Amino acid sequence: MKKIRVSLRVNGRIFTLETDPNRRLIDVLREDLNFTGVKEGCGIGECGACTVLMNGKPVNSCLVLIGQAEGSEVVTIEGLKGKNGELHPLQEAFIEAGAVQCGYCIPGMILSAEALLQNNPHPTEDLIKEAISGNLCRCTGYRQIIDAVKIASKKIARKE
Amino acid sequence: MQEFDFVKAKSLDHACTMLAGKRGRAKVIAGGTDLMIGLRNHRLSEEVDTIMDISGVGELAYIREEGELIRIGAGTTHAELALSSILWEAAPVLSMAAKSIGSPQIRNRGTIGGNIITSAPCADTVPALLVLDAALLLRRGESVRQVQIADFFEGPYRVKAAEDELLLEISFRRLRDGAKSLFDKLTRRNALAKARMNIAVIALQDKNKVVKDLRISLGSTTPIPCRFTDAERLFLGKVPRREDFLKAGQIISSEMVEKSGYRWSTDYKKPVVEALTAAALKRVLKAE
Repeated sequence: MKKIRVSLRVNGRIFTLETDPNRRLIDVLREDLNFTGVKEGCGIGECGACTVLMNGKPVNSCLVLIGQAEGSEVVTIEGLKGKNGELHPLQEAFIEAGAVQCGYCIPGMILSAEALLQNNPHPTEDLIKEAISGNLCRCTGYRQIIDAVKIASKKIARKE
Repeated sequence: MQEFDFVKAKSLDHACTMLAGKRGRAKVIAGGTDLMIGLRNHRLSEEVDTIMDISGVGELAYIREEGELIRIGAGTTHAELALSSILWEAAPVLSMAAKSIGSPQIRNRGTIGGNIITSAPCADTVPALLVLDAALLLRRGESVRQVQIADFFEGPYRVKAAEDELLLEISFRRLRDGAKSLFDKLTRRNALAKARMNIAVIALQDKNKVVKDLRISLGSTTPIPCRFTDAERLFLGKVPRREDFLKAGQIISSEMVEKSGYRWSTDYKKPVVEALTAAALKRVLKAE
């Protein structure tokens, strides 16, 4: 097995590394680059805990080979920030709505919501449900999470 | 995870040349939504020593309209299919199938080509492409061939393509004016659940409700995915009667047992095949 050289941009910073090709994007993000906000749940693309944005779109980082991420732009939860170091509106909203219990699904949940709000700043409840349909949460029952995305949508509108 | 060498195809020509050079020892990865689970479970055949990534080959991602013909690049993702206004207008049955797959994350990576080549019995785009009478374009080295999708499957997870052959394009005629189409499936949950069974239907009736064209295909029903022409013929040239909807379902469930044998799941599947068929036909056909 020959090592491969991979360059990718994570949270705005370019990283170049040499690695075994049989590693996944999640492995490199967590183990090599220390972005441990990316969580592994099922490892088979069903729970969404490992969701990151790849070229602006939510993907399961457990289903991407590291070589496939060559040249891509990745955003993890660590890359989501508000202005001047404040919390991002989604982070504020999740706190306000009490949408976080154990917290394991939240990085992925917030990134799926972020991708939605980037495309559609004023989504309907059905669109919110669809956007987070790839992220399982076993604590909240989703109600507070949906409320949080609605609150974030209003916060973003006010800031515009 | 299994060990392998990794190469990234830079273009279609590059991909085909590399595949030809590897003579069956390379396996193609596109979206990876199925293959990654296979690699994790060490299911890659021992002859394969290289994974070749085509997910970055832009030449394989397109949806084009050429007169009556719709042409889709094999590397087009389910999300791109589900968002295409061309497709919603020309073949909503395929849009609905693509939109129903997995989750947004899966749809952003998984491709129509991967869905066909992996050929899981529950593949959602397959029944839709069967009722669309789609043609597949494959390339091996420099030679290109076209095959009807109905002749492409050999059995669950097996297709009639060589290891070094690459699926390039899927094409079909747009629905005729006035034709209705539908895709539906039974799952354990609304999201992130493989289809227990799925159905695709295209129907065309004239002003007097006489059925001019009807095509029905169900997934996870027979070892080789197919259209159910006996059930289709029940309606052709006639005005549908309500009782025929369930009768069509029974014809299909008998054909399922004939082709798949009586299995532990048959007692559960039979009533579902019948109900799914009847419900779908009721929605697309106007009865007397």
